[in-house]
Amino acid sequence: MKKMIVFAVFAAMVAFAGHAFAHSPLCDCFDNGDGTVTCEGGFSDGSSAAGVKMSVLDGAGKVLQDGKMNADSEFSFKKPGDAYVVLFDAGEGHSVEINGADIVE
Amino acid sequence: MFAFMVMSLPAQAHFMMVYTPEIAKEKGGDMDFRLVFTHPAEAGHTMDMGGAQEFYALYQRGDNKAKKIDLKGYLKEIDWANPESKGKGFEAMIPRKLVRSMGDYTFVFKPGYYFEKEEGIYMQQITKLVANVGGIPGNWAEPAGLPCEIVPLIKPYGLWTGNVFKARVLSQGKPVAGAEVEVEFMSHMPDLKANVMHAKSSVDYPHDAFVTQTIFTDSEGYITFGIPKAGWWGFAALGVGPETEHKGKEMSQDAVIWVKAVDM
Repeated sequence: MKKMIVFAVFAAMVAFAGHAFAHSPLCDCFDNGDGTVTCEGGFSDGSSAAGVKMSVLDGAGKVLQDGKMNADSEFSFKKPGDAYVVLFDAGEGHSVEINGADIVE
Repeated sequence: MFAFMVMSLPAQAHFMMVYTPEIAKEKGGDMDFRLVFTHPAEAGHTMDMGGAQEFYALYQRGDNKAKKIDLKGYLKEIDWANPESKGKGFEAMIPRKLVRSMGDYTFVFKPGYYFEKEEGIYMQQITKLVANVGGIPGNWAEPAGLPCEIVPLIKPYGLWTGNVFKARVLSQGKPVAGAEVEVEFMSHMPDLKANVMHAKSSVDYPHDAFVTQTIFTDSEGYITFGIPKAGWWGFAALGVGPETEHKGKEMSQDAVIWVKAVDM
């Protein structure tokens, strides 16, 4: 088990060798009140999240919408009718999941 | 006799207080402000600040362009009552929709002109308070482009007790050498419900000299100050602004910044 963790950490280190290690991914979403939701992202060191993969999933984990953070590290989408989850996916160890129920105006 | 009376008053500094309970916020939400011109170390005299010229926030997340959010319309005049004085101040309830995004919010308050009768001078303290939502940094280390200001070189909303606060004093964007900077601890916490500072102090000052600490900027305009106690610290660079006269009287245009330190 320990070996696996060590390996996972090593793999993460290799995967993110180009990034600063001190950063963690951050993402928050707001209901715009007009049937759309906007998510904002970034990293704790201030670096941009432009281009980071964004997904909106339904309760069963099925992808409803896919997209990317824009140049301002923002991503807007049409609010699904049922329960949903937003995934900010900047790679292994760098993803944030936000439950649609926590997304308010 | 009059001079004697003035001199026998405890040494205390004027501070434009721009206060909101939390500046390192995990999530955005309504922010309740009090803006009072007083002496925070001793809950001292509350002064008429001469109204408000400007109140706004410069918002920035990461590398995005800074955005100005005008907040002047949220100012509401209030009566502020410290144990031995009363005066007019402002409250401002900034709604969540304006301060919900992650990033830095540099709040800037530019009061009107206060006339200090005893000294025959006008005073105006242009005050900054930097808050963060969600942990993504922004423009906290950038000058806000004020006539005079204190620009932090250490994250002003992420200070531990014992950190050294380092900052640069600017006048019209240029560093000010040898400027006098007064430092006070907010020993009497503002009570936002009652709009007062109560008489109870969290500090016993052994001598008047400790109430207002004084430091000077170096030849490059930098100040350094070790923070000995958790809580709110105000820094006021005196007379560094370009306006030196108002209505034919001497004028001290000061730059103020408030920071909060937290125990580790």
